[in-house]
Amino acid sequence: MLDELFERLEKQDRLALARLLTLVAREEQLDVIRSRAGKRPEKTRVVAITGNAGVGKSTLVGKLAEYLRSQGQSVAILACDPQSPLTGGALLGDRVRMPSRPDDPGIYIRSVAAASGHQAVAEHVDVMIRVLGRYGFDVVLLETVGAGQGDTAVSELADVVVLLVQPESGDELQWEKAGLLEVADVVVVHKADLAGADRTEGQVKELLSLPGCRKIAVLRVSSTKGEGFEALWQAVLESPRHAAAADEDARELLRRAQEILAERFHRQGDRVGNVIDRWKRQELDEAQAADELLQLLAR
Amino acid sequence: MSKQPSLRIVLAKVGLDGHDRGVKVVARGLRDAGFHVIYPGLWQAPEAVIRTVADEDADWLGISLLSGTHMTLVPRLIEQLREAGLGHVGVLVGGIIPEADIPKLTELGVARVFGPGTPMEDIVQFLRDSGSRTHA
Ligand SMILES: Nc1nc2c(ncn2[C@@H]2O[C@H](COP(=O)(O)OP(=O)(O)OP(=O)(O)O)[C@@H](O)[C@H]2O)c(=O)[nH]1
Ligand SMILES: [Mg+2]
Repeated sequence: MLDELFERLEKQDRLALARLLTLVAREEQLDVIRSRAGKRPEKTRVVAITGNAGVGKSTLVGKLAEYLRSQGQSVAILACDPQSPLTGGALLGDRVRMPSRPDDPGIYIRSVAAASGHQAVAEHVDVMIRVLGRYGFDVVLLETVGAGQGDTAVSELADVVVLLVQPESGDELQWEKAGLLEVADVVVVHKADLAGADRTEGQVKELLSLPGCRKIAVLRVSSTKGEGFEALWQAVLESPRHAAAADEDARELLRRAQEILAERFHRQGDRVGNVIDRWKRQELDEAQAADELLQLLAR
Repeated sequence: MSKQPSLRIVLAKVGLDGHDRGVKVVARGLRDAGFHVIYPGLWQAPEAVIRTVADEDADWLGISLLSGTHMTLVPRLIEQLREAGLGHVGVLVGGIIPEADIPKLTELGVARVFGPGTPMEDIVQFLRDSGSRTHA
């Protein structure tokens, strides 16, 4: 079945793409799909859009996708919404704010449920991104469930992390507390059509000018007015891509090596148990036992 | 290893009337019953609904109609589903449908028609019993 799906994926069959993503979400043949999809191609740029609930992530992702389409780039959107920890159910409503372009093959929108708790995005989004890259999308926009938890994981998945903040009335800025600026590569003061946007922009810039802060672009965008998208994309392009992709490959290799090691141990069967028993009976000390175990593998 | 999969259902509000309270109640009810509910919003053109079902790899499509256009919209949607290679997707219809039209709709391929005020449990039970069309 996977052979057929991947063949169809090569021919840009959307149904095959959709089905592969379902299999990934359901953890069916996950490892096979991961390796068959292969490394994410260099040209596929992954941009995460994060920020608190209601800051306008979906709306901005939708508008940014339209801007990118106007530039001739193909775009896939992975929109994450939280899943109930009790029932596993989820209400995936981000599409409401996104464009509906049924005749345009260059845009693909997929809603995914993220396990609640510690994750800002759904599980196995890394594999989904590989599949989307294999299909050939130029850009993958990843909408998180919200900021605050699992942000570092997001910066490992994406080339660039865009943090949205909105004009606030109170003096206390929520995102400041959350330490969000640490993962952001670009900060967008969204809803710039609202009063107080310039003040918020000033506050963010001030925070970022503290010694020791990385250089981060801060800009204003209004999705309602359709303003600021060109500058936003420029900032994304200028932001150095995380070395994430390379790191991911290295991690993959180590993971594979560990698997092989585990398999070899497993194949030793009783002989491993034997060593452990002798160690338990204190016939062997720890170093000797470890040594014997490794010798088993060398056989 | 694989997870107990949640069924994916697209709830679409087709046509021009602007009320989506009913759909939202059903959406929340299905979420609480463990479904993954994809809600694309009001005023969906049939083509947009088909695209959503395709891209989301939905198991079910729930169409809500209040406007009395069911005998034109539902056949059109079902035909477009088939043309798009989505004949395996189960179709539910919700709304005020005259009794006499229900057999016509089921003959067209609608799995079940739910009138207004159908208890949530009935819908949930029906979907559970029917299971996943797509990924059985
Ligand atoms: N004034 C103004 N309002 C906006 C803008 N963009 C979005 N909104 C409004 O902000 C609200 C939330 O927008 P969403 O796009 O759903 O926000 P979100 O961050 O995706 O929300 P969650 O996914 O629920 O976390 C909606 O009422 C939008 O209409 C903007 O540029 N200006
Ligand atoms: Mg959203």
